[in-house]
Amino acid sequence: MIELVGVGKTFNPGRDNEFHAVREVSLSIEAGRVTALRGPSGSGKTTLLGLIGGLTRPSVGRLRLHGRDISALPERFLTALRRDTFGFVFQQFQLIRDLSVLDNVMLPAVPTGRPHADIRARALRLLDEVGLGRRAAARVQWLSGGEAQRAAIARALINDPPVILADEPTAHLDSALSRQILEILAELRRCGRTLVIASHDPLVFEMDLVERVVDLRDGRVLA
Amino acid sequence: MIFQPAALALALLLASSLNALGLAVAGLFALRMLRHWHPDIGSEAQIALERRTHLVSTLVVLSLLLSLPMLALFTHTADAMAPFFAGAMCAVGSLKANAWGLPALAVMLVGFFLAAAWLVLHRLDTRGWDQPLLLAKYRLLLLLAPLALAQAALLWLYFGGLKAEVITSCCGSLFGPAATGTLAELSALPEAIARPLFFLTLALTLAAGATLLVRGRLGRAFGVLAGLNFVVALAAIVAFIAPHIYEQPHHHCPFCLLQAEHGYAGWLLYPLLFLGTAAGLGAGLAAGVRAQSLHNEAPRLAAALARIAVAALASFGAAVSFYLWRSNLVM
Repeated sequence: MIELVGVGKTFNPGRDNEFHAVREVSLSIEAGRVTALRGPSGSGKTTLLGLIGGLTRPSVGRLRLHGRDISALPERFLTALRRDTFGFVFQQFQLIRDLSVLDNVMLPAVPTGRPHADIRARALRLLDEVGLGRRAAARVQWLSGGEAQRAAIARALINDPPVILADEPTAHLDSALSRQILEILAELRRCGRTLVIASHDPLVFEMDLVERVVDLRDGRVLA
Repeated sequence: MIFQPAALALALLLASSLNALGLAVAGLFALRMLRHWHPDIGSEAQIALERRTHLVSTLVVLSLLLSLPMLALFTHTADAMAPFFAGAMCAVGSLKANAWGLPALAVMLVGFFLAAAWLVLHRLDTRGWDQPLLLAKYRLLLLLAPLALAQAALLWLYFGGLKAEVITSCCGSLFGPAATGTLAELSALPEAIARPLFFLTLALTLAAGATLLVRGRLGRAFGVLAGLNFVVALAAIVAFIAPHIYEQPHHHCPFCLLQAEHGYAGWLLYPLLFLGTAAGLGAGLAAGVRAQSLHNEAPRLAAALARIAVAALASFGAAVSFYLWRSNLVM
């Protein structure tokens, strides 16, 4: 489904602070499976996730989605691709303060032009599914860490993307809350979605969730 | 003040120089790109080239948008300068004040349609996820860039070489009965031939455009006919439309139509003809694109351009018919 061929990402190329975050990564991510990117901080997990999801462009190499090269896709198509294909769950939740939980969840669907009532109905259903139905009207700064991450997962699902990219989804949560989040992710796998999780949390790998582990160090995939 | 010929000439020189500079930079990039383009390889150089195409294309779009109104501006400036030259009655006199005026106009004319074609290709290319017209676009740029440089050089030579004491010749020397050459032969074309030919070509062009709009067919034929119609229409203007507007059988000049004493008829006819032709050629170009990723977008753009072309050319035909109907001239 997603294929990376010799992908690399260099920040500040040619300058004193040049940094190779990802180097020559070749990888195939199969549809409907859970792939975990494992490695210590600075190993390139987040950058690789950003490359897969089209949040950043590679400096070298090719990325293909269903056989289509998306490495140098014009921004117009990349935006549509991000919106329709990928749902993002970030380490720091990235919810917008002073907006309600419901508004945060609805937001990625607004540019699609779907009727507002449809978006709202789907957002409320997703919030129910992640156990936040009663907190829909609450402002996001009032949520606990676990609630905020569940809201972020609901937001990632609002456009019904086939692929969920989760960056350290349990990083700021205790074990109980982490298990809750991982249960939700397991449910997404059962629904046939493809999951790519970047994590170094042992709990993620202890549970029967991850089907394939890709170990990273210094931006390279370990054999 | 800004409509003074000197100010307009400065504006033209500035615009053509910027246009030439932008297209020269883009042309050099096009050369590099066409030599080193390997889309199957994800090398750092290839990725950098792919990214830079977006930037260069934006530069070209800005340069070409700047160049499109220059044709009208140049013609108007030449017309406005006529009173400064002994012997000049209209733009022709000004353009013939030295050797560079008419070549500059000719290059600008070619550049106008090539620029329009490039913009159509670019519009389509950016609608395909795999940018299927990228190479065609950059090959065309190799033609446009030298043309822009030639245009700027000719304009500098023309405006820089103008001398007030030069006695130039009026339009009668190009389009009158005593003149020689292709333009003179056009002037001598009998109305009995030119008139039916003009209306037949226009009718065929409009019919092809209507077929493209209604049935989605004859797109390329419409493009070819729009081009042919342009040539025939220019010939018709010289042969019989202009004399009917002037109501003088031996006055064939297509530039005097721009003047106030003839009701600025040229400023109605030429924009419609140029717009219709450019849109028609663009529609033909778009209809000929067969890229898989543009199978929806290409026919949609072809139809949109055909609508503009048909409307402009039909209005042009209606305006010509009105001038002929109003004319008291019997040739």
